[in-house]
Amino acid sequence: MSVTGITDAVRADFDARLADADEGGALELAVGLVTSGVSAEDVLLGLVAPAQVRVGERWESGEWTVAREHAATHVSRLAVDAVASAARTAGRSGGSPGHVLVACVDGEWHVLPSHILAEVLRLRGFRVRALGGSVSPHELLSDVHQNGPDVVALSCTLTFNLPLAHRQIETCRCAGVPVITGGTGFGPGGVWAHALGADLYAPDARGAAEALLHHWPPVRCGESSVRAGAVEEYAALVRRRPELLAHLAHALRDVFPGLRDRPGTPGTPGTPCIPATSASPAWEHEEGTEFLGRLLDSLAAAVFVDDERVFTGQLAFATTYFSARSVDPRCLLAMTDALADPLRGSPRTLNTLSAGRRYLATRKPGSHRPQ
Amino acid sequence: MTDGGSGGTWGRAPAQLSQLLGLVEAALFDERDRSAFLEETARRLGASLHHGRTVRALVEMVIPKLADASVVVLPASGRRTHWHRAGPGDARSAGEVAVATLERVPKVADALYGLQPRPAVIRPREMAALDDVMPGELVRGEEALVVQLAAGGVPAGALIMLRGPERPRFDDADIELAHEFAVRAGLALATAALYSQQAHTIAVLQASMAPEPLPVADGLRLGAAYRPAAEALRISGDYYHVAPCPAGGVTFFFGDVSGKGAEAAVLAGQIRQSLRTLAKVKRGPDPLGDLRLLNDLVISAGHRFTTLVTGSARPCDDGSVQVEIASGGHLSPLVLRGDGRVTEIVCGGMLVGAVPDPSFGRREIRLGPGELMLLYSDGLTEARGGMSGREIYGDERLVDALAGCVGMQAPSVAERLELLTTEWLAGRPHDDISVLTLQAPPRTLPAPPRHGSPSHHQPGSPGAPGGPGGPRGPRGPGGSAGEGPGGPASTREPGSP
Repeated sequence: MSVTGITDAVRADFDARLADADEGGALELAVGLVTSGVSAEDVLLGLVAPAQVRVGERWESGEWTVAREHAATHVSRLAVDAVASAARTAGRSGGSPGHVLVACVDGEWHVLPSHILAEVLRLRGFRVRALGGSVSPHELLSDVHQNGPDVVALSCTLTFNLPLAHRQIETCRCAGVPVITGGTGFGPGGVWAHALGADLYAPDARGAAEALLHHWPPVRCGESSVRAGAVEEYAALVRRRPELLAHLAHALRDVFPGLRDRPGTPGTPGTPCIPATSASPAWEHEEGTEFLGRLLDSLAAAVFVDDERVFTGQLAFATTYFSARSVDPRCLLAMTDALADPLRGSPRTLNTLSAGRRYLATRKPGSHRPQ
Repeated sequence: MTDGGSGGTWGRAPAQLSQLLGLVEAALFDERDRSAFLEETARRLGASLHHGRTVRALVEMVIPKLADASVVVLPASGRRTHWHRAGPGDARSAGEVAVATLERVPKVADALYGLQPRPAVIRPREMAALDDVMPGELVRGEEALVVQLAAGGVPAGALIMLRGPERPRFDDADIELAHEFAVRAGLALATAALYSQQAHTIAVLQASMAPEPLPVADGLRLGAAYRPAAEALRISGDYYHVAPCPAGGVTFFFGDVSGKGAEAAVLAGQIRQSLRTLAKVKRGPDPLGDLRLLNDLVISAGHRFTTLVTGSARPCDDGSVQVEIASGGHLSPLVLRGDGRVTEIVCGGMLVGAVPDPSFGRREIRLGPGELMLLYSDGLTEARGGMSGREIYGDERLVDALAGCVGMQAPSVAERLELLTTEWLAGRPHDDISVLTLQAPPRTLPAPPRHGSPSHHQPGSPGAPGGPGGPRGPRGPGGSAGEGPGGPASTREPGSP
């Protein structure tokens, strides 16, 4: 047994139950740990969270379909609820240090990290309101004014959402509410959280709870270092997104997956059965351009926070994603090349783009992450 | 030199001048300081509409510029009223005090009732009555300043400021600054009070209009997603309700009132209430009868109408679920079969509340283990976005997305469809979006498809979902991983040649 009671065998067992979307089994295992004396926080952070990392990896590596990943994720979420409620009935709840509003950044659908954070904070005695996935600035502002939280906790997993995270942080700042941030989207050590003007950053839920307890009441102290020039070029990229995408779709039609026109093989329509097929060239094309769109969004986000790693990180993901699906990742290099000309008037964007190109060109096979 | 006298005069003049300049400079500095303070007041208080936060900010802001401790007493709604205090130092507290106690200090009472337009000094002997709200060590022997907080004729509270023994008394400049501060603070506080009252009213109404949490029903899985057009208000013309039946299974309804916002939400609330009342007074499910009764009700309610599906779902012994629906002009439900086929359940029927004697459609469906029925509102398929930002999401994309959900649980299917539409919208305004999913649980342990549905094989395609999971690493807060990569379903066989 390890110190916490969560052994490798327990982890493997939990993984297997997620893989089977075995709701009953997964919940039994997680709750069993709590009733046998392992702290709920340890179960959430030491079992559920890492298992979910592996779920993501199994999708990324092509081992799992989206559907299977979602099915497993759903079981993880039920496990979080079950663990938290088991711990509550065990009667562990402190005083009420304060009121925290937990939300995902606009556009962010990775709800589990914020879900775990909400439960960990509740277990530490905080009063928590959780707004869930993809919270619009309107909804956030309205909730802040209605319920007057002492602090807003923002979770961001995908780096291309950083400009939207900035809007959320600004919204809170204007309303006079401090912001604590967390999630891989904010970069190593939360470097982009600070750049966007967040007041606090924590690498995980336990860190967030401790930072809040330690700095209570949290105060506004963050300052956005986003430059006017960066915002200008970012805005241009957002404005030109449709045009740039169309350009890419055309320029890469022979090299980028999904963009090739090939004879469609739609399913046989049988009434009243609708052919459930995404095999038509139109859909292929749409998914291909959407993938390109995400790369463009990452480029824009990198320009916004003035850090090429936002872009190279997304390229690293795309490379792994393609390699796992037997697609030659050199098509990404073609993408960076195709963008150079239409973006020649934007120096910051061009710099980021060449950093991406350098990364792709020098990347050794098998190395997945930019340094 | 002989004229030493005049030299002395000249020698003194610059000294006087620099003294004068020094005074002017000090006055300028003082003035700049005061306007910075007032500007900060306006900025900080103007940003908050939450009454509690505004009060807390307000008592803190006068420290140390004007006082060492301060108390705001709020207008009374009964015999007792609330107060908030800051100082000395970092001390913060709040509590209640009897109005009668406050009234023993006429200047405080006047400020509270909006009868004290200028700041007034309270003498130490008058202050004994304020023991309840004042830090004791400050009350003894020192003067206090009381200012009314009001927006024009609307009283919003009284601010009492105190200084420690080592601070000079309030001078004219302090009183003037306190007045200027109170004008700004009063406006902010009155606005926040009004907003809070309205927000509370809205929150109560919202809670009564929002869909209730789904019940837990044996032999059934349920899921829902709800994204109103007025996201800041969380009210919508879409409505749904699922209620467990005593004999097992559930009854449900799902509808969409024409229009959106508060007006649509009110009618939606009435319909929901009527249907729930109907469920209480009748013996068995009678979806068609419900629709007819409701049609009369909606017509009498005014010029709006609604689409509506009512129905029941009953788990059978073989693990399947028997569903019966009656439809009044609503979009056809979709059924996801175990092999990934998506079937439209055409039910027909006319809108509810549009004409006096409409015809409604009725259908029965059997869901095998793992199979799922989807009810959705047109906000989903009519979401405008995509590459051009103007294209509608459309039925075909929905069918395609649903087909990729084989092996997923009802709640995650609902959430996935919400995710896909929200990404399609990319922040653009939209109509009310609601989704309800109803599923027969998988027969044994679910064995989600490793390779997606058969119709999805497309050799050589990467699938390329729209929202790749991004760089991986330790996740947080919570250190968790990418669930839901966020993109269209890519249920393709990985690595197929």
